[in-house]
Amino acid sequence: MEPIIRLENVSFSYKINEKTKVSVLKNISFSIIPGEYVAIIGHNGSGKSTLSKHLNGILTPDNGDVWVHGNNTKDTNNKRSIRQTVGTVFQHPDNQIVATIVEEDVAFGLENIEVPREEMKKRVDEALNVVKMSQFRHRPPHHLSGGQKQRVAIAGVLAMHPDCIVFDEATSMLDSFGRKEVLQVMRKMNNMGMTIITVTHHMSEAAEADRIIVIEDGQIVMDAPPREIFKHKQELKNLQLEVPSVSQMAEGIHQQFPDFSTELIQEDEFIDEVMKFSKVEVI
Amino acid sequence: MSSEFEISRSITIGQYVPTDSYIHRLDPRVKLLLFVVIVVAIAFNTSYIGNAIGLFLSLYLFWASKIPISYGLSGVKPAIPFIIILALLQLLFQGQLFSGGKVYVDYGFILITSESIRLVVVSAVRFIEIIFLSSVLTLSTSTTQLTHSIQSLLSPLKKINFPVHEISLITTISIRFVPTFAIEMEKMMKAQASRGADFGTGGWWRIIQRTKETFPIIIPLFNIALSRAEDLILAMESRCYTPGGNRSSYSVYKTLAKDYLVLLVGLLFAYLLIFYPFPF
Repeated sequence: MEPIIRLENVSFSYKINEKTKVSVLKNISFSIIPGEYVAIIGHNGSGKSTLSKHLNGILTPDNGDVWVHGNNTKDTNNKRSIRQTVGTVFQHPDNQIVATIVEEDVAFGLENIEVPREEMKKRVDEALNVVKMSQFRHRPPHHLSGGQKQRVAIAGVLAMHPDCIVFDEATSMLDSFGRKEVLQVMRKMNNMGMTIITVTHHMSEAAEADRIIVIEDGQIVMDAPPREIFKHKQELKNLQLEVPSVSQMAEGIHQQFPDFSTELIQEDEFIDEVMKFSKVEVI
Repeated sequence: MSSEFEISRSITIGQYVPTDSYIHRLDPRVKLLLFVVIVVAIAFNTSYIGNAIGLFLSLYLFWASKIPISYGLSGVKPAIPFIIILALLQLLFQGQLFSGGKVYVDYGFILITSESIRLVVVSAVRFIEIIFLSSVLTLSTSTTQLTHSIQSLLSPLKKINFPVHEISLITTISIRFVPTFAIEMEKMMKAQASRGADFGTGGWWRIIQRTKETFPIIIPLFNIALSRAEDLILAMESRCYTPGGNRSSYSVYKTLAKDYLVLLVGLLFAYLLIFYPFPF
């Protein structure tokens, strides 16, 4: 299948002043196929956030190219269609809400791309429905919880009918309840066929994805399904990353009961394994 | 004790109270236009009766829009020191300019006459009326409605390349962030206070000390505002915002017959406030 986003030898550096540059991305290449659920992980300063800003042309590479549906992000004429294809949800729920009423914020992007009013109404209703925020549509955003605000931000992106949504640490400011809400929405959208790219340092969140890309010092060091990735406990540790808490627990139990599987990354898998074990022990 | 940190409660700007009253359902452009006209009319009117009527009108509007008057009062409260200082200055130093009427005190440069007292009382009441009116306007009109109407009222200026839409967007965003920054400021005050900073212990008359107290809050607040702005730009750009670009509009307002009626009544009211010779 033709990739929705394709990075070819992307390098990027931030200029500090005339003389010094800090190289953030070094020769990164990968493709993302429509419908994928990809997590990009890496510790602070690894370049993962800079990478995510390349995916819809907020930043453009110094060297190399980013192609979105075959359009180069460097071409300013493509800007609008690229940003319509790839939407972004950012970290701070408060800093991405423009309007003073929920539904009007959801409509902000649609106003920018000149969607006719009738169509706009339909899309706003739809988007608010998907994130389950319809009953809050007339509320001012500062009366909402973090998770709710973030769902409004998602609705704002969703209403523009993108093919892909990038979540740039979108859950890191939320409590565990809010995170769960947002993760559910992400899963739901992926099931609807949307391509999801989530940049995160919560491993349990990365475990939800179908594919994990690990970034270290501006380079891709691993690119595999979560189960593969989390087998490499020592390597991850060296990269200042951890395996999900479920895997850690499984590992601990494994030390006591060698038969207990260590390759568990999801909560329900863990519960199943425990159930299996307790039955064996009882009988 | 907790009240000294609760800034976000006393800010009425940008807090829409959706009670869906008659006032809420008016065409926001009519509301905004009338607001401007009536404020100008109040500024022109120097009589006691005229301003009493103005005060009555603003209270009536609170009632009509089903918004608790406490919202209006909490808007007035922080303005009281200014009103008092202004009143004192006018009373002491402006007597010479408004020297008509009966003379009560004539001591050195201080001249207090019935005219200067009228000036003091009327300007204090005026101040309160304007705060009330603007509170009703912002409490009964969502800021997006407001900015849409600013945009719509200013749209003739587009012909001379005036950036109408940009101005209205700037207004929306600044209003949108008022409560956010108020909450931010509360957090900051609590954080500073928990590390031993003093707030509000100095007594309100120690102006220099109280001004100094605000620096450890104002400066980080600026910092936060700038980084928020940067984030906001990214978020807006990601949602295809292009400055100067064409946009469609989510909210469309129809001016109905009742809106014209209200407009007419309001304009008549303003006309009377300016031109009717009130006896007192």
